[in-house]
Amino acid sequence: MGKVKSSIITSILVIAVVVLTFFATVSFNLIGSNGVKRYNSFLSSIHLGSDLTGEAYSLLYPEGVISSARYNLVVNDSDSSEKDEYQKTYDKHGGVYVNKDKMGEELKASVRADAEIIRDRLGEKGYSSFTVSIEDDYVIKISLPTDYTYSAYRNKNTESRSESLQIVSHAVQYLTLDGDMSLRDGTSGAPVLKSTEDFASYFKKIDKYQMGGNHAVRMVLTDEGFEKINKIITAQESGNAVVYVGDTSLGLQFTYGTALTDKTLMYQAEQSYASDFAILMSSVKSGNQISNNYYDADGVKEPSIVSVTSVFGEYAAIYLAVTLLLVTVGAIVYSIVKYKKLGLVCALMVLSYALTIIITALLLGIQITIAGALTALIGLALLVFSNSIVFEAIRKETALGRTIQAAVKVGYKKSLFTILDLHIVMLIVAIVTGIIGAGEVAACGLILFIATVASYVLYWFTRFMWYVLSSPVRDKFKFCGFAREDLDDED
Amino acid sequence: MKTNFKVSSKMHLFVIISCVVIALGIAVGTVCHFVAGGFYNYGADWASSKSIVVEYENIDYTSSDKLEEICSTAFSDAGIKSKKVTFVKGTSNTGGKLVYEFMSSTEDEKLNKAVEAIDAKIKADIAVNGNIRLSYPAQSSGQTLPEAGKALWRGGVAAIVLAVCGFVYFLVRYKLSMALGVLLALAHNLALFLSLVALLRVPVGSSVITFAVTVLVLTLFGCCIFFDKVRKNSKDEDNKKLPAIELVDKSANESLKINLFVPACLGAVAALLFVLMSISSLSPLAVISPLALALTAFVCSAYGLLMFVPAVYSRFKLIADKKKNTRVTAVKQKTTG
Repeated sequence: MGKVKSSIITSILVIAVVVLTFFATVSFNLIGSNGVKRYNSFLSSIHLGSDLTGEAYSLLYPEGVISSARYNLVVNDSDSSEKDEYQKTYDKHGGVYVNKDKMGEELKASVRADAEIIRDRLGEKGYSSFTVSIEDDYVIKISLPTDYTYSAYRNKNTESRSESLQIVSHAVQYLTLDGDMSLRDGTSGAPVLKSTEDFASYFKKIDKYQMGGNHAVRMVLTDEGFEKINKIITAQESGNAVVYVGDTSLGLQFTYGTALTDKTLMYQAEQSYASDFAILMSSVKSGNQISNNYYDADGVKEPSIVSVTSVFGEYAAIYLAVTLLLVTVGAIVYSIVKYKKLGLVCALMVLSYALTIIITALLLGIQITIAGALTALIGLALLVFSNSIVFEAIRKETALGRTIQAAVKVGYKKSLFTILDLHIVMLIVAIVTGIIGAGEVAACGLILFIATVASYVLYWFTRFMWYVLSSPVRDKFKFCGFAREDLDDED
Repeated sequence: MKTNFKVSSKMHLFVIISCVVIALGIAVGTVCHFVAGGFYNYGADWASSKSIVVEYENIDYTSSDKLEEICSTAFSDAGIKSKKVTFVKGTSNTGGKLVYEFMSSTEDEKLNKAVEAIDAKIKADIAVNGNIRLSYPAQSSGQTLPEAGKALWRGGVAAIVLAVCGFVYFLVRYKLSMALGVLLALAHNLALFLSLVALLRVPVGSSVITFAVTVLVLTLFGCCIFFDKVRKNSKDEDNKKLPAIELVDKSANESLKINLFVPACLGAVAALLFVLMSISSLSPLAVISPLALALTAFVCSAYGLLMFVPAVYSRFKLIADKKKNTRVTAVKQKTTG
């Protein structure tokens, strides 16, 4: 390869990496927008786990149980007309106040049963981490990851922040709905089925369906369900019937006057919402109904969401980024010190690897946790050691007196199976953990899969770039930092 | 880095060390299961807990720092230590909530004492400053539902499938003795990790499954490196005549650099990360748990790969070589006969 060709290829690649690195790491206010509009870097647009950006929790108080704050607010207010009533009605139980008539094992047991149903529903969502706990025997506490991006977490992207909170809020609101599934008139809200008819039994299967970027709730009707619903909706000419769980409409409609033609119904919704509806309906259909009405700490029916800081502190994400940066710099310095100019090729590959992981995590919407970041480091170790193994093999060959070209050929050939074995084993681990593991483990499996593929591709790309960079160089041994053994002079 | 460790000759020592640690871990875990309420020391996200919630509004503390100081003093006076602290910002800039979680075994009396001390201190401060206040320190108890069961169950299945896949892959690509070595390495390293976690009473949370999987990943990674060296040395003209034990030792020494470097690097990264996080964390205990789990995982992987596995594998290789020799002799006798 000629000097010009080599320079062009190298320049294009270096420019691409530099530009991508800039856009991947630097956020800035857009010029001309007076700081209103902002470019958020790839890195700050990746979704982060609850260990980095904290979690959102919601407290669900069953009817007859109120928070101490609410109780104290009324009791400490001398003007309150409810003061005496509150003092007569409620008894303190840990950090809450419970209606004396309702206090007892029965309510405790039903709250526990409800908490278990909520836990199972949330378990279906595939969160990286979540907890459902019972506080003071009567209150259900749900903690979910907020799934903030860093820019949303630091309030630099309010749209993304409110979207994340809305998704969490929607999940809490719908996955904690009490009551049975019913079909009601869209205008009057009156039930359109007889009280003896079990609407949930009309469905064979309810799940989330995904095709490309579209998401929907897929409902498969039984023969009986198909017949009955068709009878109802064709009996009237205008309006619609709406699916309810308890007293809440899910917005899934059957239009009057239009007969169903297929037993499989699709209701398109946003990804998270479709999954919430499908999980809720499927759970209710299986007979897992929540029995109590729940309110938030202020007595409002719709549960409120509270964001809390990560247990690792407000700057956990920054510390993780600093650590990863140090590791990347360390890997680059190690390569350059050990392999001189050839180390620059490795440095380019390390940067390309980091960019690949950042861009893939961004595009696939993978939630990065501390464990996920450490998994990405395993991939980096795989890349660095793959290159290290092959370089050492080549160093040995050059020491035997081969030319660089011949040594590279033999070195790559000799270490091919070692590298292949390493990558295949890592791929097996990634696939098994990704498919079988749950939550964070599954996410780590996905990251390991991407990291392994990236490592293998970049391993071969290293050879190509080595060839490109070293082509115009005269002393290729010096370029690589290798020494050639002096051949015995037979003269 | 050239080393010449004779790991194979220390096989009995490594087997004894591993067995003792695993047995101690099981024993301590079993005793704690009956005495302390769990085989493992279940952490904040898996165990029941008690908490003190301090809600405040319109208090003349410009940040939560002053309130934290009051709470910390009250806790140390009462002789209790929180395992997790969560700070919840209120809707107004002057309000908020501090939630301190304690082990479920913490005495109610001590918690009440702390609650009263916090309340009294806040009241005294208000009396001095004359501000309006609404503060509600209250003691609560919480019980986390065992979601961990499902995650553990799936993690266990994943570990078994991984072991089977690893065994089959090494059986196909390498030899039966090496495949058995991989199986043993996976079982040993995982058992050692879980036993050490039980023995050291490291607070266990959902991250324990992730770290257990990390042990398996590092083990398979290390086995690839080690058995590849064994295979290469077995084919090498200079080394193939070496006795099995020496050949294994040579391979172990050659793979030592990578097999030590990877867990050590990851351990150093984890340590650095958690040290940095401990600066900003509200509760240092929350940082210690994952750090201890991470370091335990990396130490187990390194020990297993560098000491135990080569030592035990050398015996597998001896048996395999002996069988091979017997077969070769039998074939030779047949041909000559």
